[in-house]
Amino acid sequence: MSSSRIRSPSKFTLEFGLAFPLFAAARLVLSLTNLPHVLKYDHQLSSPLTSYLNLQEGIYLFKNGVDPYSGGTFRHSPLFLSLFTTILPATGVGSSILWTLGDASGAWALVQIWRARQRISSSQRDSLIAALYLFNPYLFLPNLAHSTSSFDNALMLFSLMFASQGRASASLLVLSFLVQISPSSILILAPVLLLLITSPVSRLASPQPLTSSGVQFRKSGLLLVEFIAYFTVFTLISALVVGNWIWIPQTWGATTNLPDLTPNTGLWWYFFTEMFDHFRPMFLMVFSIHLFMYIAPICIKFQYDPLFAAFLLIGILGTFKSYPSLSEPGLFLSMITIFPELYPYFRHPIITALLHFHASLLMPLFNSLWLNQGTGNANFYYASTLVFACSNGAALIDCIWAGLRIAIGEEETGYTVVQE
Amino acid sequence: MDPPTAPTNFWTQLLLRPIQRFSRNGSTNASESRIRRRRAVVSFITRRLWLLQLTLFCTGYLWLLIIPSPRLGRRTYIDENALQPGQVNTYWNWGDVHAADKNLAQLEALRDSNATSKQRAEFIRDQFHKLGVSASTQNYAFSTGNTITNGTNVYGIIASPRAPGTEAMVISASWLSRTGDGDGTLNLRGVSTVLALAGFLKGYSLWAKDIVLVVSDGHLDGMHAWLAAYHGSTQSNLQADHLDLPSGVIWTALNIDYPGHSFSHLGIFFEGNNGRLPNQDLLNSFQRISLYTGGVPVLVYDHLDSREHPDLSGLPPWIPTAVRKHPEVQSYVYQAKNVVRHFSYQARGRPSGVHGLFHQFRIDAITLFAVPATGPHGFHAIGRVIESTLRTTNNLLERLHASFFFYILTGADRFLKIGSYLPSAILISIAMMFNGLRIWSDLAWSEDQPEIPEKQKQTQFTNKKTWTRRTRPVIKVLAIMIATHVYGAFLFAAVTSLWFSDNPKVASPLVFTIFAFIPLIILCALPSEKTSRGSLSATLKALNLCLASTVISITALLNFSLATLLTILMGVPLSISATSKKFAVRFCMYNVYIVLGIGWLFLQDETLKAVWHWEILSIWFAPFVCLVYTPLVLQAGLVCLLPQ
Repeated sequence: MSSSRIRSPSKFTLEFGLAFPLFAAARLVLSLTNLPHVLKYDHQLSSPLTSYLNLQEGIYLFKNGVDPYSGGTFRHSPLFLSLFTTILPATGVGSSILWTLGDASGAWALVQIWRARQRISSSQRDSLIAALYLFNPYLFLPNLAHSTSSFDNALMLFSLMFASQGRASASLLVLSFLVQISPSSILILAPVLLLLITSPVSRLASPQPLTSSGVQFRKSGLLLVEFIAYFTVFTLISALVVGNWIWIPQTWGATTNLPDLTPNTGLWWYFFTEMFDHFRPMFLMVFSIHLFMYIAPICIKFQYDPLFAAFLLIGILGTFKSYPSLSEPGLFLSMITIFPELYPYFRHPIITALLHFHASLLMPLFNSLWLNQGTGNANFYYASTLVFACSNGAALIDCIWAGLRIAIGEEETGYTVVQE
Repeated sequence: MDPPTAPTNFWTQLLLRPIQRFSRNGSTNASESRIRRRRAVVSFITRRLWLLQLTLFCTGYLWLLIIPSPRLGRRTYIDENALQPGQVNTYWNWGDVHAADKNLAQLEALRDSNATSKQRAEFIRDQFHKLGVSASTQNYAFSTGNTITNGTNVYGIIASPRAPGTEAMVISASWLSRTGDGDGTLNLRGVSTVLALAGFLKGYSLWAKDIVLVVSDGHLDGMHAWLAAYHGSTQSNLQADHLDLPSGVIWTALNIDYPGHSFSHLGIFFEGNNGRLPNQDLLNSFQRISLYTGGVPVLVYDHLDSREHPDLSGLPPWIPTAVRKHPEVQSYVYQAKNVVRHFSYQARGRPSGVHGLFHQFRIDAITLFAVPATGPHGFHAIGRVIESTLRTTNNLLERLHASFFFYILTGADRFLKIGSYLPSAILISIAMMFNGLRIWSDLAWSEDQPEIPEKQKQTQFTNKKTWTRRTRPVIKVLAIMIATHVYGAFLFAAVTSLWFSDNPKVASPLVFTIFAFIPLIILCALPSEKTSRGSLSATLKALNLCLASTVISITALLNFSLATLLTILMGVPLSISATSKKFAVRFCMYNVYIVLGIGWLFLQDETLKAVWHWEILSIWFAPFVCLVYTPLVLQAGLVCLLPQ
């Protein structure tokens, strides 16, 4: 019964080797149209930390010998700066190809994670997973707007992929690079370390404490040291690129200090717009710590399935991080595809889907009522981001519920499962 | 022996009743009684859900009916303190009226000599120059299908003597009046008022904003071209000259429409493109100024108040006089007329006059319509009202923002706040959502054969029937829904095609027939699967209702009139769609939905106008109908058509 509940993949029997290039090509065609030029100004698709326009400005300043971090607009990592001024194209067709490549590699990594989790070399589901990553509007719209969050997502997936495949150094290297360009991603360090000492196979249905399965926790200490080493090297490279240390408060500092209150899809900007200045430090601290609060409980509760813990933390990141765009919740939603065992146990999937549907219609509409038509105001848009936060929260609750509920198994007639 | 019962009075009983109702069993296990209570509550609600839906529907539709009621609205008031309407002495006098009369005589001469747009524009520009106002002309051409509309606008700018000219106010008049939707009635007096105002306003040094005077050609097209050029927006089917004379950001605009010889009232037209409304402060200031400074009573639109003109009430004579003469009934009838007029503009997203074009650029604008009559007012009154209104908007330090942007004007000085009308559409959409969710959750279970094993009979939760979970064909239904929206896109392509606009008489029945049969043909061509077909229809209905409900509740915030139209067209019809065993019944039902969904094709004029508004003014009513409304109704049609 339960196996038949998994959505039949009959519609997606396309061979992955054929389907994947096809999907990627379709995405490339989309990004070669006029769309990137229209979308790059939309602040729902990229935050001040990931905005393409800011990146271009920084590159311009850097090339002309001005320290881009001395102003207040450029908040990308020096690593991006050095890459885009040397090997990576930042304009024209080159950038379209690069960004599409970013998403395509993310989709590929997601498929690899799925394969590693199922311990198979290929499955019929592969094409579906790739399609749901490449054609998730929350992911491809920011990508078309050339938000660097697409690279954050790809790196996140690569880090998880390497971890699932047991390649510790590669995983930690990618993760340290990711934390350099997006510091709040440090959230998934703990599940990645756990994943490296266990396996990505789904154990949601048969939970047991890690201590009973003889896992060597000492190894994770060594891995942590390795991570710190990589991180230090990247930090030194960054300092070398810029030539001073001003970039640290400008880039990493921005995630906690919230200097730029440009509206985005998250919960922080409006709150801190309204905040009196003398409460600011206190609430900045509360909001930042709040993010980290979830690591321990989720990693402890789901210690037997660290990939699932990482997935939940990505969802929390998408809901509560300081400068989100649509990409982060999009990554969470697309990752649901690699956990088909959850589907029969979702708590209220239709409600979540409808909430997301409402939010994704309300956000652009209220944004335009406020900023284009002028009949609305900031409260309208904020209200719609609240709906969005609720829908992300509902999706998280669905997944957490299903992840816990699955261990009890199917409900039998005449019995009810109670939460005590 | 029974335990002694506590003394109960009526209120404790009333309070205890729901508690007793949902915790009837005497179980000692806390979890068990909680589950029982929860189940009792859930089944209590689900068994009566139809009642809740019915209540929501009835409340929603009744609420729509009482929107015009004089008891629901309230009087308008000025919210922005800076406006200070009607607090100034006006200087417009008989000399200026004489100037306007002279202008009128010259314009009439131009009209009689059949002057071209260009000649007219050059004449008006020269007049501006003579008055010492810097002025210029702008040629434009719109191409829609095979027709090209071209014309020439004139505009003059009075630079602000007191400020750097970063902000501006617009006084405009279009060559054609709005009477008969620009059918050729000329707005000569409006244009001559603008010319006279140019000379008059130039003589005063109290302007803190530039005054831009625009005489636009045609009815809507000229002003659209001028505004597009002013704001630098481009449009593929518009070729317009650049504007030579720059000015600042336009905050407010007054459009003068004075087609008759004299007027009795000034009517306010305020609906803009895509249903945007101007800030209410502008309307209210104008209303107060007109009444108290100009002495001219104000109307909404050109509806004379039936309370003052009993012969205009429009009520059929068979209604008893006592009812007909009742003041509340009369107010209701008058306000209903205004509300219906408002809905007819806003729902279709049409601007109710030239002012509506300003709205897309965030400019609050209204049209002052001089309702044609034999008297008593003329240039003297309209000049004073405009002068005083300009003085009021001149006071603004920021854009109009204090008052309402979402309202229904039921009379010139009465309105409904968003909170008093929005719930009607939202309640109906909630009812639809409940219906959809109900069907969705019912679909998760299918009834099994009623044979029950002996041992289960003894367990506590045994029902008479057994239920098993079943899957819902979500992917298939989503594919069907996407297909209907693609169908809508094809329909839109057909309606906007050149061929359709060239021969609408032939095209509209043809398109109707083709698009009525396409779903049938596709359904026949598809391989039919016996399994879960019935749940296919029901799943489609569930998702269709959820989608329609979302669309209604979200449009309600953007454009309430459109949402109202949708609740009327989709609310009940989508909720009662159902499949049946007999093919004939299913086919008939399908046809009903097709007529509801694409029957508008037979309203050829309306369709062509909507397409014109989309192509020239980017009003999204036509694409909305094709891409959202028609597919939703078609989905309901398919719910009926799909076998049980």
